[in-house]
Amino acid sequence: MDYRLRLAKRMLFSKRGSLIGAVLAVTIGIMVIHVNFVIFQGLFDAIVRDITNYRNGDILVTDESDYINKSDLSLVNWFERIPYVDAVAPRLSSTAEMNMTKNGKRFEETRVPIVGVDPFRDIRASTVHETVTEGNYVFSRNSIVLGSIVARDLGGAQVGDSVKVLVVDRWGQDQIRRFTVSGIANSPGGQGFDYTAVVHIDSLRDMLSRTGETSSFMVKLNDPSKALEVKEFFLRSFPNDDFIAETIEESAEQQLAGFRSGIAMINIIGYFGMMSSAFAIVTIQMMLVNGKTKEIGILRAIGAKRKDILIIFILQGMIIGAIGTGVGTAAGLGYTFYAKETKMSWNNSLPLEVTYNWGKIIQTALTSFILAIIASLYPSYRATKLLPVEAMRTV
Amino acid sequence: MALDNVSFSIEQGEFVLVVGSSGSGKSTLLNMIGLLDNPTNGKIFIDGIDTTTLGDNKTSSFRNKKLGFIFQFSNLLSDLSILENVLLPRQIAGTNSTSEKDARDLLKAVGLEDQMHQRTNNISGGQAQRAAIARGLINKPSIVLADEPTGNLDSVTSKTIVQLMKSMAKKLNQTFIIVTHDRQQFGDVDRVITIKDGKAFKGDHPSEMEIYA
Repeated sequence: MDYRLRLAKRMLFSKRGSLIGAVLAVTIGIMVIHVNFVIFQGLFDAIVRDITNYRNGDILVTDESDYINKSDLSLVNWFERIPYVDAVAPRLSSTAEMNMTKNGKRFEETRVPIVGVDPFRDIRASTVHETVTEGNYVFSRNSIVLGSIVARDLGGAQVGDSVKVLVVDRWGQDQIRRFTVSGIANSPGGQGFDYTAVVHIDSLRDMLSRTGETSSFMVKLNDPSKALEVKEFFLRSFPNDDFIAETIEESAEQQLAGFRSGIAMINIIGYFGMMSSAFAIVTIQMMLVNGKTKEIGILRAIGAKRKDILIIFILQGMIIGAIGTGVGTAAGLGYTFYAKETKMSWNNSLPLEVTYNWGKIIQTALTSFILAIIASLYPSYRATKLLPVEAMRTV
Repeated sequence: MALDNVSFSIEQGEFVLVVGSSGSGKSTLLNMIGLLDNPTNGKIFIDGIDTTTLGDNKTSSFRNKKLGFIFQFSNLLSDLSILENVLLPRQIAGTNSTSEKDARDLLKAVGLEDQMHQRTNNISGGQAQRAAIARGLINKPSIVLADEPTGNLDSVTSKTIVQLMKSMAKKLNQTFIIVTHDRQQFGDVDRVITIKDGKAFKGDHPSEMEIYA
């Protein structure tokens, strides 16, 4: 082993307090970034996941004129011939007024979003049906699933209750129909259809006088990375229609834009944390240099060059960086693993979507390691400036 | 001014004592010969090389290869074992295959063969000074410089260290320049230089002293 590495190690390990302090500084810096990443990126990914699963799919197809006239069966069949496509579900959206009489008291709700679904296709393309915590998903033309908030506002609607739904059809006429509550939907974080009512698509088409029309198709892929490819293929295949096809990134852009800047901000804070740990290393290494002044003088007296002293202290920075990065990354990964295994969430909020982002993990570790080395440059330089005869006078 | 117009030369293999009272400038003289300090004026030649013109890297190399140091408080590195301390100047110069054998031989010569793997904070002052002598000799330097090598030792240990330095000087035919305030301890030596008020004198009896200038 090179004598400089041996000395760097021995000098560092003989000052255990300083070593632990410096290592902790790096570890905490990395932990801050990992924890932020897990929580905020996990939350972001969870929102994307839920928007994909509940509302937009991997590709959302709409029309410039709000309604798609093309037969839903033909479009579904067209999509499902593509090997990357798992399932496609048509949906029709509108708003409704609802009222219900409960225990002799009439409850009314206005402007409730209402979605018409094809239940057999919907359960393949979406996971909304999994959020039905009481009763069943829509299974017949007169059944309705109420979001938990809608059910609450209707005086505590329950499975089996009868709800009167009023919509305005395409001719401006009120259309009223009575539905039986088949289920109540309640999703973690309210990302599902908690504020919405779900009925059979044909029932809503009848009420809106929009036979055979659809608002949107949610396309679920077995390989989401092919979304752009499938979207472009679809648009190329229907050049004379006014379809709009958007990947999840595009369709959810508005909802996610604010969140993205939040994540960027949090990452900046994380990197500031890392910079603080670099300053801590500078301080601790300056203490190490001061504590080893006499040794530096002795080394210089017996022939060590300034370069050798520089190398010894930079090696110390590398050791601190390597240990801190190792411990910090291990702790960060441990936290990530814990969050993943426990499906971490707070107060019934949506469970975090935790993925091991190896690129980000390696980038964080490398940044931290390099910062630790950079932080050791100034103390190392100061060590080389000590005059041997002056340094040896230090007791 | 610590030293004023001092000029003398020392031959290969000489055992020289530099004596003088506290603050007379004897340690400054040793630091300058050891290239640890620079004269504001004048030159220092070692093996025919003007050491005052050397750059920092060459000065370090010169110190490493041509000079051996023995300090009052041994100045061993406490983070290393005795053997590692002795090996250090050789490792700084660039280890060769005989380094460890040379270090072991030297440690045997100074009577530390059984303690060579001990940390320096576990040994006595006398043992530490022996290790320092071995470290000072490992690179077979032209000159060994010792600053109060017995200043921190009891009289019995001091006597042993003096004998050891004398025998090593004779055995290896190396120049020793030793700064001491205790002239008597060293007995017969090749030459004594007395520093008084920054000036150097030959000899140590005031009546016989002759100025070096």
